[in-house]
Amino acid sequence: MTCSEIKEFTVPYLELDLEPARVQEITIHLDRCAQCRVEMEAVRQVLVRVKGVTVPDPGDQFWSEFPGKVRQELARAQIKGQSDVTPLRKPVSAHSWLRTSMWPMALAASVLLFIGAWSLKGLVGQGLVQAPTEQTVVQTPQGSQDLPHPTDADLEAYWDDDPDTVLVEMAARLDQRTVDRLFGDI
Amino acid sequence: MESDTQLLDRYAAGEESAFEELVRRHQKTIYDLAYRMLENHADAADMAQKTFVQAFLHHRSFKRESSFRTWLYQIGLNLCRNALRDRARLAHEDVEEVTLTAPHDTFAEVATAELKDRLGEAIRALPTRQREALVLRVYHNHAFAEIGTIMSCSEGTAKANYHHAVDKLRRVLVAGEGLP
Repeated sequence: MTCSEIKEFTVPYLELDLEPARVQEITIHLDRCAQCRVEMEAVRQVLVRVKGVTVPDPGDQFWSEFPGKVRQELARAQIKGQSDVTPLRKPVSAHSWLRTSMWPMALAASVLLFIGAWSLKGLVGQGLVQAPTEQTVVQTPQGSQDLPHPTDADLEAYWDDDPDTVLVEMAARLDQRTVDRLFGDI
Repeated sequence: MESDTQLLDRYAAGEESAFEELVRRHQKTIYDLAYRMLENHADAADMAQKTFVQAFLHHRSFKRESSFRTWLYQIGLNLCRNALRDRARLAHEDVEEVTLTAPHDTFAEVATAELKDRLGEAIRALPTRQREALVLRVYHNHAFAEIGTIMSCSEGTAKANYHHAVDKLRRVLVAGEGLP
């Protein structure tokens, strides 16, 4: 064996981690080579000194309490893990309430606008309401002041003649109540 | 004596006594590993605790291709690597702060203070993988095949890491003490 080959086997030789035949080869080489013996001794001292470095024992109390601490930490981690899977319901903030309530309000407003436009068109068609002229657009419409406000009994009476108009009136009342309810909570 | 996997099965079935037995069986080994990597009691105790918590939390993902102890070593070393990385990052960000909170010297038991410092510094200066191989081989007496499994590398790589570590330590000690 050459000196460079010996270097490769220095550690396993010292750790008795070689086949007997290889150990014999190295031993023969070391008997003849002073330089390799010096190298081998240096590595042996390193291993001995490193091996001598110990870890201070934290004491019996530490070891007896250790499993309990692990158990506590494990329980905490399990709870945290469960909460990660099914997060606890968070309190609803005013901002998020507004955000989630916005779409029904927008829908209600759209429906109101549609019904209003549709009913206005129907009333104009039946001659109950005058079509807005240039004058009525600029001034307060006189016709609207003359329009009767139908009671529930009127609506019932009108039902057979003009159910569409009655439905429009009922929808207008209903939507006003809905709007009041929605905005009353804010 | 029951094997680790038998105890783990019992734990999975809800037997709490198996949990305690498994922890007691391996707590000193994992603490020793953590101490040798992190060099102070507080970090070592914390890391050992985290190792067991992770192991029990994810015990169903333990595939049993290796031993439970090897699996604990793998978890422990991973946690230590993360901690060392965090420590290095902190040292980079704020050197003064790290100096104030530097861990106690690992090698307090070594007889000569000078040798202790030199050896401690030399081990501390080793690349993490070389240090892991050194710790697992010298202090925990693992075969290189198992060291490879723990470090997630081949047996040859584990051997090479160990030999490089020993060679570096030899050079440091030879240079400092006039060893043969």
